[in-house]
Order: sequence, then structure tokens, then C-alpha cells
Amino acid sequence: MSGSEAPRASAVTVRQEDVRRLCDFLYRRTGMLFAEDKRYYIDRRLEERIAATGAESFQAYFALLRSDADHEIQYLVNAFTVNETYFYREEHQLRCMTSDLLDDIVQRKPVGETIRIWSVPCATGEEPYSICMWLMENFSRVDSYNIEIVGSDIDTRALKAAAEGVYGKRALMRLPQGLVDRYFEKDGPDKYRIDAGLRNSVTFTAVNLVDSQGMAQHRDFDIVFCRNVLIYFDDASRRLAAENLYDCIQPGGYICLGHSETMSRISPLFNVCRYPDAIVYRKPVREHD
Amino acid sequence: MTDAATRHSAPRILVVDDSSLVRLYYRDALEPAGFEVDQAINGIEALEKVLAKPFDLIIVDINMPRMDGFSFLRVLRAQASDASSIPVVVISTEAGPQDIEDARAAGANYYLVKPVSETALRDHAAVLAGRAA
Repeated sequence: MSGSEAPRASAVTVRQEDVRRLCDFLYRRTGMLFAEDKRYYIDRRLEERIAATGAESFQAYFALLRSDADHEIQYLVNAFTVNETYFYREEHQLRCMTSDLLDDIVQRKPVGETIRIWSVPCATGEEPYSICMWLMENFSRVDSYNIEIVGSDIDTRALKAAAEGVYGKRALMRLPQGLVDRYFEKDGPDKYRIDAGLRNSVTFTAVNLVDSQGMAQHRDFDIVFCRNVLIYFDDASRRLAAENLYDCIQPGGYICLGHSETMSRISPLFNVCRYPDAIVYRKPVREHD
Repeated sequence: MTDAATRHSAPRILVVDDSSLVRLYYRDALEPAGFEVDQAINGIEALEKVLAKPFDLIIVDINMPRMDGFSFLRVLRAQASDASSIPVVVISTEAGPQDIEDARAAGANYYLVKPVSETALRDHAAVLAGRAA
């Protein structure tokens, strides 16, 4: 995952040939296809699994995998898919942002003011760029506010890829063709480069959710998308991350989590808001609300 | 027909706004309608661009860092080059009569209050650029 501190592999390096063998094996065993254009994730996750199992070489790890000792196949598949993301992945949350959250926010903000939106962890940038595209297409007052979109992640390699903004076909699978034509240009076979205007509309920063000092650099957000990262923390870290996020949000601001996550069990700081398209959590306008 | 129009087939518009998202919004409204869109992030960058190449229309915001829309207009209108006569439309969140008067006094040809729909933007651009795209 990109938003927590996974153990980093050090000694074991993985060759392209190893990755191909591994992908063949996984395909035969699970039917899941991990293609070459996912190399960025595959290498990283594989190194993490090798480190986590304590295997001393790829060969040793592969032997372990084939015996499926300790359900390692499942762990590896999870590791491979956890970060798999694409544009407009959580369309219902984007819809909730424009149909409910922003309606409320603009009632409290005069035109011309700044609206800050944060995608954390943003991995390779699909979410913050999706937010940007969605606003362009669906928020009629996009020109009336100074909208700032920030994408943050602990993983600086992911951030580098995000800032570069080059994606495979799979990442674009949910986007209507009109949007692909409008916001991407072909950049080699099955590669698409995001429009420069869109790229310049998102600022990327490195952040660790449990590092209070680093989180203090990120303030005054009106809406935070923080999906599928809190589940990877233990209880204490999860509470700390929630408290840090609370401090990053303006009073009356919102946080959207992944569909399997609930803030209620993590922290009592936020109020639950049920909208037609999504459940989101709100920082009270006043402390005692 | 302006100088820019005689040299280029597509009418050329300079969009000046400090918000990247707003520039993107204007560009996406205007380019599909056949306009050629260039961008600047403040008055200073806009001046550099209008003095370097011809434009049919300038769309400018008021509140920008370094050089705001009013200062840009005054400096533009004082130029001894063809650039001084380019039509300028001010698009601002400021909707007060004084703001509109100040913009006119600084040399604006037209004033629009945000939000501006894509259709309105295209229609005004076609009129103010002196020709449809």
C-alpha cells in the first residue's frame, strides 16, 4: 500500500524474467492477469512480500509461493491489487462532492475564495486528476472559486509517477472516450499522457499520515479523500492518523473514506453524514457540535 | 479585422488567470469552438505575451498576484504598439458597480461576472474577437 510504512526490501532484487515467471504462475493459479504495464506496482509489492516473508532470494520466495505455505498466494495477490486504481474509480464519491459537499461549502464561502481538496494517499495520481476532471465537467462554479487540489503520498516513487502523469490503458478504462480525448494525449503504444493544464492543477507532496509534524504542513482542507489506507494501520496509529487528518480539515470540512472503512469506530471527532451517493464524515463547525 | 486575424486562421485568445483550473476551464470552452487559446498566470506574463505575438482578444481576471487585472489593462492601453487596441474582457468574481466602473476606466471593453457558462464564454468571445471561430 502506498499510505503506510510497508517494510522496504533491501538485498533481494527482482529480475524481469522472475516477474514474468511469477505472473505466469499467478495466472495459472488464480486466473488474475498482471500485465507488464503494471511493473511499477508488481516489483514494489513483490519486494515487499519477499522482505515480509524473510526469503533470501527470489528463488526461495517462489518456492514458498508454489507450496502456498501460510497462504502466501493470497497475500501476494492482495499486495498486487491493493494499489490498483484507475480514473473515476469511486464515481459515487465524486458525485457526492459536486451534488452535496460543495453545495454546502460554497454557502459558507464568498465567491473568489479558496477551496482546498486533498487526495491522500494519492498513489500515482489517478484520484486527484479524477477530482480535477470531475470538477471541470460537473461543477458549474469551477471558475468562481480558487480551487486547489493537492495529492499526497508517503511513496515518493508513486508521487514521481503521479507528477509525470503517464498511464496505461487500464487506468483509463472507466473514462468516457470524450474525456480521454480531451484530457490525454497518446504517448507511445498503450500509453497516455495527461494534459498539461490538468497536471498543473494538482500539487503533489510527500506525507505520512502518522507523522504529526509533516501533517501540520497540510492545513485548511475543505474536502479530503482518504481511501483504503486507515485499514492498514493498527488501532493506535489509526487513531493518530484520524486526529492528524482532523487538524488538516477546516471546521465544517469533509472526509471521504473507502467503502469498507468507518470513521465512527476510529475516532469520535467526526460527525457522520449520509448523502444519497456516499457516507462522508464531517468535522464539526464548532468544537462542541 | 485585426492584425492577428489576418495572420492566423483561428482567432487567438489570451486567457489570464492565476488559477490553473480556471485557465483550463476557459481553454476547454474555447478550443473546441475553434479558438486558439494561449495562457498567462498574471498581468506581467500576459504583457510579455501580447507584446510578443498578436491576439484577437484577451480574457483577464482582476485578482492576481504580481500584477492584477486593472494594472495590466492600464499598462496595456498605454503601449505604443498595436497590442494597445486588443479588445479585453474582464471576468471577475467582483460584481459591484464600482468594480465594473473601475474596469471600464482602466480600458476594459466588456465585463463578465463569474460563474460564466461555457456557452456564454464562447458567444462573447466570438463577438468580442470580431468574428466567429
